[in-house]
Amino acid sequence: MHNYIAVVFDNEGSAYEGLHALWQMDDAADITVHGTSVVHRNDWGRFEVDTKETHPAVATAVGVGIGALLGALAGPAGAAVGAAGGAAIGAATGGAVGITTDLVRADTRDQAGYESSFVIDAGQSAVIADVSEDSIFLVDERMRNLGGIVYRRAASDLRDDEWFDPDYLYPYEYIPPRYVAW
Amino acid sequence: MDAKVKDALDNVRASAQELHAAISDAAAKRGGAMKVDLEIVQKKAKAVADSARSSMATQNDAAKKHLGEAVKRLEAVQKDAAEGLKATGRTFQSAVRKTLADARASAQETSQAVASKRSAKSKPKTNGK
Repeated sequence: MHNYIAVVFDNEGSAYEGLHALWQMDDAADITVHGTSVVHRNDWGRFEVDTKETHPAVATAVGVGIGALLGALAGPAGAAVGAAGGAAIGAATGGAVGITTDLVRADTRDQAGYESSFVIDAGQSAVIADVSEDSIFLVDERMRNLGGIVYRRAASDLRDDEWFDPDYLYPYEYIPPRYVAW
Repeated sequence: MDAKVKDALDNVRASAQELHAAISDAAAKRGGAMKVDLEIVQKKAKAVADSARSSMATQNDAAKKHLGEAVKRLEAVQKDAAEGLKATGRTFQSAVRKTLADARASAQETSQAVASKRSAKSKPKTNGK
């Protein structure tokens, strides 16, 4: 199964542990990770994306894409919100996503039972990942042990989404220097 | 699942990921330094494409298809980088963005090839043996 997942954690440090765990599972060939990124929601409700901050055009592109991807993950209603948020960060720093995905529901589309909309509350962080997995249980269990809650949408479903573009996830484990503790 | 044994396909994927990281890092540099990096990128992309081609024969059909797409994207990386070396200003920036996008796509395709291989290995045998 090719899925997009959002794993929500209560803090940034746990999110990076979750990110590292996903790539460890890839290294063990338990799953295949195609791309990842980490987003944070600050106490004022704004989203921030950890980017490499290399060339401004590249950094901004990552931020814009994550905005759209968050919206797509949140479901049909969230897609429009995500697109608007993406445009907003394009004009801003490339790191902040001005969208609200709370309470966005994906119940207007016929989806598999394991899929659900997701919520990132203020102060929480989430790992966004593009993965191939033969079973959902391996990721669910590992993330649960780290304190994360996993939300999924099938890649086949997201591909139909007008705003969906997977290219904004890093295709390797990118951890900003301030989080490197392993 | 058959884990911990890195084969040629895993190495191709790792090289494609490294290529994307190298281009992303190069994009942070100024014109002259970035152009030096683009020359290296061209050579790396060719090496990864050659490795991808040579590993295709032993893969299943799904993995072969993804590797074929990866090779096309890696050839595009070489072309984009060559254009970047000749260009200046906005054309140069555009070439760098295209180089990065094609490198990202090649990493995605090689990763999909790895997923196809792993999925095929994990499926239970159906002949009862």
